[in-house]
Amino acid sequence: MRVNDALTGAVLVLFALAMLAYTVTFPGLPGQDYGPALFPRLIGIGMILTGAILIAGGLRRRGTEPLVDGTGWLRQRPALLRFGAVIGGLVVYMLVSDILGFIPTALGLLFGWLVLFRGGKPVSSLVIALLTVLVVDYAFTRFLLVPLPLGVLQAVIY
Amino acid sequence: MGPIEQAFALVFDPYVLGVMLLSALFGLIVGSLPGLTATMATALLVPITFFMAPVPAIAAIVTAVAMAIFAGDIAGALLRIPGTPASAAYVEDAYRMTQQGQAELALGASLVTSAIGGLFGATVLAFSAPALAEFALRFSSFEYFWLACFGLSCAVFISTGSPVKGIASLLIGLFIATIGIDGTAGYPRFSFGNVELMGGVSFIPAMIGMFAVGELLRYATHTGIRIEPPRQAIVHVFRGLGPVLWRYRANIMRGNLIGTAIGILPGAGADIAAWISYAVAKRFSKEPAKFGTGHIEGLVDAGAANNSALGGAWVPALVFGIPGDSITAIVIGVLYMKNMNPGPTVMLHAPELLYAVFITFFVANLMMIPLGYGAIRLARQILHVPRDVLMPIILLFCIVGAFAINNTVFGVGIILVLGLLAFVMEENGFPIAPAILGIVLGPLLEDNFMSSMIKADGRLLGFFERPIAAILGLVTLAIWGWVIGSAGWRALAGGGTSR
Repeated sequence: MRVNDALTGAVLVLFALAMLAYTVTFPGLPGQDYGPALFPRLIGIGMILTGAILIAGGLRRRGTEPLVDGTGWLRQRPALLRFGAVIGGLVVYMLVSDILGFIPTALGLLFGWLVLFRGGKPVSSLVIALLTVLVVDYAFTRFLLVPLPLGVLQAVIY
Repeated sequence: MGPIEQAFALVFDPYVLGVMLLSALFGLIVGSLPGLTATMATALLVPITFFMAPVPAIAAIVTAVAMAIFAGDIAGALLRIPGTPASAAYVEDAYRMTQQGQAELALGASLVTSAIGGLFGATVLAFSAPALAEFALRFSSFEYFWLACFGLSCAVFISTGSPVKGIASLLIGLFIATIGIDGTAGYPRFSFGNVELMGGVSFIPAMIGMFAVGELLRYATHTGIRIEPPRQAIVHVFRGLGPVLWRYRANIMRGNLIGTAIGILPGAGADIAAWISYAVAKRFSKEPAKFGTGHIEGLVDAGAANNSALGGAWVPALVFGIPGDSITAIVIGVLYMKNMNPGPTVMLHAPELLYAVFITFFVANLMMIPLGYGAIRLARQILHVPRDVLMPIILLFCIVGAFAINNTVFGVGIILVLGLLAFVMEENGFPIAPAILGIVLGPLLEDNFMSSMIKADGRLLGFFERPIAAILGLVTLAIWGWVIGSAGWRALAGGGTSR
């Protein structure tokens, strides 16, 4: 998704303004004119300057370039679906992995991704997903001692 | 036992050598598959090295990266798709050679020049780092402030594309680095009362997000490139190679020198080294018209340059804690986690670890010849690995890796947000490397800036009162002056664009 530089520049400037406004709440250093707010403020000023240059350049090209270029992958349903599946999968993992546990969550997500990316083939995808999840779980919990959440399997194992 | 003997004992340990062998195989596979870069290989390795002792952790990264940069040439020669961006400069020549039935010569040359380049970069690293460290011991916060500024400026202006977007990317990275408790007053900034944000954006999830998840999102939206490995058998990798390499021995040396120098410059790594080296080879060649038509000369130059840049990039990383490229930016984060804080004092406190790093470089590049030969022989099989299977598995790895650092799903949140950010930035022509350097160098830059401000009592002239600081400061300001001046000149001359 390409957007005109004027738009990205404007986002940068707005973000910097919000950040600068927020730094006003930072306390000062005793006996100094500057404190924790100084460095973020310098960054904010830099963002406003670069944002302004981007806006100026983007406006000059406004005639030849659309504000938002909605062609490319945004028009292709499969690409959009895969994009959404990656983002959505990460969100789902954050929400349910603690409750369901690592193995069921990861198995579900990996199976879904494999079917989507390979365009079908559910049986082999399930086998690949199951093997991968078991290997990853074993490697991380046994060798690297990472406490991956057990979730619903807790009741089964204990 | 002296530190050098200790270092040999640390490296020639069955466990470390085993880790290096596995990392080498990992690097060869990741490097030869288009869409998976050497930086991504490093980001994926980091969660695993997190649980290792310093020497095997660093050996794993050094080996995997060296192999990945070489293996990028395999896909370049056979598919015309560079396996990593560092092979892009000469992909046309390599692929044309394959079409002319010279795939064996192209791959053999790139294997041997890669190993020679890697060994050259390692030699420069081993000899220059200790000497520079002695010099750097005299540095104060003023010198470090300017050094960080110089490094970040190089990162912005050497990177390809528009410098304005490079600056914007750098500022985004610096902002991300300010999140959490600040170093001077201990005040939690931009954490909005969230306890996990108070600790700052953890470095490993940030890397995984920007390099691995960002790449995966790009793959998800830009699939459809079908890979057709050639049917031609590749058997005699080293046949007829000797005379060719001897004829171009001066080119190999030139590639080594250019590559190492560009690697040492902060912010520019193997890919830029290859581009510049290829351009120089063409400029000074007796037969420049042959470049791009399947001519081996540029491949020899740039093939040596991209691997020698890897060793060069470690020089500023180890001596000053200023990364030479985005891979060493990740390495610096790893070194901090291993309590091996990069900087001149590492030479005083743990010289054996430093020597061990140098030795792993030599071992990795020597291992490259037999393992690389095997990878070339198996290239057709490796290239058949279905990426549609690999990508979802890598995504699962990213999740577990991000989770493993603090054992919370907060890390997964970081890879999601920063992965999206990196994807949108890349889509719109904002380079990612400056943002990474900003995240890594932000705390160093701010701490040295704040303590310099306090020491100089807020007088900016105080930043120029020590001689080395003054030179570094003036050079940095001169770079900025030159870039702003030339941009202004172009704008005045009319028709100036920011792209």
